[in-house]
Amino acid sequence: MATKRVAICAVAQHKNEPDLWYRRFQNMLLDVLEDLQGQTGFKYGEGGVEMIVSTSDDFFDARTISNNGVTDVIGGQYLAEEKMAQEGLNAIGYANAIILSGHKDLVLIMGHCKESQGESRNMITNCGFDPFYGRATGLDYLNAAGLQARAYMKKSGLTDDQLAEIVVRSRQWAVKNPYANAQEAIPAGKVKSSPMLCDPIRQLHAYPVSDGAVGLLLASEERAKEFTDNPVWITGFANCMDTFFFGDRDLTSNFALKKATANACRKAGIQDLKKAADVVEVMDCYAYQQPMWMEGLGFCGEGEGGRFIAEGGPGKHRVNLSGGTLAGNPLIIAGLYRAAEATLQLQGGAGDRQVPDAKCAVAHSTNGPAGQFHSVLILEA
Amino acid sequence: MKKHIKNRNVAIIGIGQTTLSSHKEDQNQVEMVSEAVRNALADANMTLDDIDCIVHGNMELFEMQFQPDMWHALGCGSYGKDEYRITTGGTVGATLVCASDSLVASGQYDNVLCLGFEKLQEGNTTGGITNMADPLWFRNLQTGALTSTTATEMIKEFGKERVLRAAMKYRIMIDKHAMLNERAHRRLGLEYDQLETLMETSPQLVGELRLIHMCSQSDGACAMILTSEDRVKKGTAKPPVWIRDHETSHRGENMSNLYGAKKPKSTHRDCAEKLFKRNGIENPLEYFDVFEMYDPSAYWGLDWLREFLLLKDDEVLKLMEAGEFDMDGKLPVNPSGGVIASNPIGATAMLRPAEAALQIRGDAGGHQIKKEVRHALASGFGGTLWTVMLMLEKELNW
Amino acid sequence: MAEFFGTTVADIFNTMPKRFKPEASKGVDVVIGYDCGGEGGGKWKLTVKDQTAKIETVEGDLGPCTATITASDAETFIGVTLQKIGAIDALSQGKMRVVGDTRMLMTLLPQIFVQYTVPEKKTEVTARGILSAIGDRFRPDKAAGVTLKYGYDLTGEGGGQFTITITDGTCTLKEGLDADLAVKMTMEAATYVGMMTGTIDGASAFTSGKVRIDGDMMAAAATGKYFDKYVDPNAEEAEELLSLKVVTSINQRFATGPVMGKWFAGLRDKKLLASVCPLCKRTLILPQEICQFCHVRTTDYVELGPEGYVTNFDLVYFASPDPLTGEVRDTPYACAWIMLENATPEEAFAFEINRKDLSKLKIGSRVRPVWAEKPTGSFRDILHFEIID
Repeated sequence: MATKRVAICAVAQHKNEPDLWYRRFQNMLLDVLEDLQGQTGFKYGEGGVEMIVSTSDDFFDARTISNNGVTDVIGGQYLAEEKMAQEGLNAIGYANAIILSGHKDLVLIMGHCKESQGESRNMITNCGFDPFYGRATGLDYLNAAGLQARAYMKKSGLTDDQLAEIVVRSRQWAVKNPYANAQEAIPAGKVKSSPMLCDPIRQLHAYPVSDGAVGLLLASEERAKEFTDNPVWITGFANCMDTFFFGDRDLTSNFALKKATANACRKAGIQDLKKAADVVEVMDCYAYQQPMWMEGLGFCGEGEGGRFIAEGGPGKHRVNLSGGTLAGNPLIIAGLYRAAEATLQLQGGAGDRQVPDAKCAVAHSTNGPAGQFHSVLILEA
Repeated sequence: MKKHIKNRNVAIIGIGQTTLSSHKEDQNQVEMVSEAVRNALADANMTLDDIDCIVHGNMELFEMQFQPDMWHALGCGSYGKDEYRITTGGTVGATLVCASDSLVASGQYDNVLCLGFEKLQEGNTTGGITNMADPLWFRNLQTGALTSTTATEMIKEFGKERVLRAAMKYRIMIDKHAMLNERAHRRLGLEYDQLETLMETSPQLVGELRLIHMCSQSDGACAMILTSEDRVKKGTAKPPVWIRDHETSHRGENMSNLYGAKKPKSTHRDCAEKLFKRNGIENPLEYFDVFEMYDPSAYWGLDWLREFLLLKDDEVLKLMEAGEFDMDGKLPVNPSGGVIASNPIGATAMLRPAEAALQIRGDAGGHQIKKEVRHALASGFGGTLWTVMLMLEKELNW
Repeated sequence: MAEFFGTTVADIFNTMPKRFKPEASKGVDVVIGYDCGGEGGGKWKLTVKDQTAKIETVEGDLGPCTATITASDAETFIGVTLQKIGAIDALSQGKMRVVGDTRMLMTLLPQIFVQYTVPEKKTEVTARGILSAIGDRFRPDKAAGVTLKYGYDLTGEGGGQFTITITDGTCTLKEGLDADLAVKMTMEAATYVGMMTGTIDGASAFTSGKVRIDGDMMAAAATGKYFDKYVDPNAEEAEELLSLKVVTSINQRFATGPVMGKWFAGLRDKKLLASVCPLCKRTLILPQEICQFCHVRTTDYVELGPEGYVTNFDLVYFASPDPLTGEVRDTPYACAWIMLENATPEEAFAFEINRKDLSKLKIGSRVRPVWAEKPTGSFRDILHFEIID
């Protein structure tokens, strides 16, 4: 009989840095690996880890089969290794399925990305649009977010002042997170006067260019105790895809996020996520996304994002105590950093950020232009 | 070794392929992908509403499209559904089937559609392959995917004449299989009496690797639908093909340590040993009724048969020489014409379990093996000599 | 079929679907029967409804029609259609009869159909013909700086021997095969024509031996570059497909890191360094952060070689083009696997061999590195490995 549930036994994070020019992915991942091995004592091979799910992106790495450069570090020699080629939170969903299926009882997840390597992450995301129309018009994930931000601010009443408030709060929490990139405290005035990147998104509303790596060890219920006294259980995971052309989407509807949330909650047996969750980590690349994704997750009503911020929603619901992606994560593994923080909170390992008695956490990530694709992970202690 | 326990059984119930050609200029990526998806749904007599998850994967730099599954949402039916994007290397097609198997077996999803595709002419394949190598060093040495080192090793062991003849015989046999498969891309109409002439006249690419030995490039897509045992019990349009087990074996990026004074074990043999041991299969040559093997070249085809079937010494050459890998041989290999005949890289490794499944169903048309096919083996290759293997069964009785 | 005025009655009807103008037939709902007598004749029925046209041949009775046109013979029918014979004359002479609204027919038909014209005779395409016009397709801009002489030996009917010389931005063709060809391609003339008109797949023809190459294969592959694609004069206009050609490149700054940094620093000192696994003692070359077999960090380094022996090699005749520049390396060249002194048995080192030594290269050859005069810590520090006699 295969296992009934899967635990995250341990997480290890490489500090998010603005420019790790002096380290290769291999160096970064080795640090993460040693951290995980130190915490859990896991071994590779028969009876140990036989499967690794890596996360990286070929464009960001400028390398086809980007995982092949790190196979030796992450332990793929004569073992099974597969790459989650989309946002890393899905690696957890996939690894969860691998263990539930009975195929393996341990899975190691190792993700890496350096936004600083290429001359422009916007040039990369521009290639995410179709070659004939989207790319030619110069769309990239930044200006796509600009379009969505403008529409959402109109719908929800979110103001420029509130955007600044979100950024200020992110920094206040990031300074307590040893793994965060942007920890410098900044006053709201500075955010509001930072140069416009893409109206209404200002420079300080945007997540800084970041380099990082994250590792997690997942185990079946039967084996989790070999590696940790604090297993964090995966009780629900789902993701959902919206359609591609902006003209076919309502950019403010959170269609995909709502569906993913509903499915994840159903699997976790949760009726009201905003009551159940003690900690929330959302992938907010741009300030407007924090309230917008919170609305999609069901923490406020339709179009109530402005109100959510005004009423101190993020504080009340313990949103992004890590500083969130706004404090700087590289694009393809931001979700793994969200999951890492959520796990630490449930293990009681979140230091100054610790929410007392945290029992249930939500980690979220998004992929594609203007949140075309969303993933929701529900964890319980 | 711990016995392998599957949470629930998974079957392939739908298979769809597009035509393969060297330049599919009349379709864009989305249209091509959509064709494969629609063919798979038609094959299974299902609609998109029945599918709850799509599994996508490819190597981005081949088509120069960042996170292509976003654009392809228009063609692969992932709108409003769960979706995963998983890649490995050339093995990706097979990996997607393995991943889909895990997703269904886990109980998290009931009906999963996986999709592999290639539109090589939209990018630069050699560029794509060369870009696999470490930019700091190996990229300067890399010649793409062409190498004769395996031929050299085999020649060292068995002698030049014998190896060259066996490899050419393999090539002609593969072409004969391709001629029976109307979907195959390269069908040359070769005859065994051309063996000596081809050995001499086919232009040399690298060492003893000649043009005739190598696979080429194709555009095309393949989609498969997997479902749980419960659904199969309710009735399916085509006979189900059960996924018994699968395994993957990788290795690091360094290609230098392959031909030292001591050669390492191949990932092929490693994967086969693990897979067969835990399934109690002592003699794969006897057990399997068909083998769809990922064979990028005739030499690799020959060498890897030895590795996968755990053969010793010159057993593989003897079997080749005796015609035991022919359509009516002991273990037919690549009745579809294999990779040498058709190679849409992103889909190639999926075509192997797809073709193996068609054989079990009895659905392979012109290239159907006459004897009953109950146990099938499929393999994928890619990356820096990575291996993926799948075992398929006609009945749930293992 | 009987031909008059250079065409047949059947061709007029066969081309009706192509000549039909749907927009012009809005609101039209008619069935027109045609009955042409004599040799080359026949019966056809045209149904125009809902902006579509259906043409079918009819055996026996035409059935109910809005109007019928009857011609006594094919010559009359074709002649009237082409306006070589006046319709009024034909009607007066009784060679043509119309049952139904004649005036309607005379205004309607030209409205909903493009006027029929006699198709041009198919041009005969021969190998000789294609080659003799090769100069018209030559692209001097693509052949700048190229000097190449190659030949075709076309066998069978319609064949011949030809030498093409490209030099100084010009291209000349002459009969016969010169002695100093870079490459000669031998094939049946019909195969050549098939490849040029696209009915035979070139790659398959090369691979299956239908085309034989004597000489420099790279040169043979290059010839296509210097000419515009041959256009089959008889090919129907294919649907024009748009394609977007673009080069995507994003500048990168790759990190070296301490371990690769050490390797490059070693090269600068003309040393080949390997990292050593503390557990299994393998000498990993190129140095790695970790031993992939033992999963532990490597910390020690050891110098290997400089001499070693060859265990395997790839002698490359066909080089793949560089993805960014399109440049192709000169062939032949060889990449060898080398067991350097002090290396543990599995850890070979791969590098290029001195082109001058290719003829001597064997398994077991002893080799040593040849260094650049002033190594700077890069791939170019090692020029190649040479064979020690």
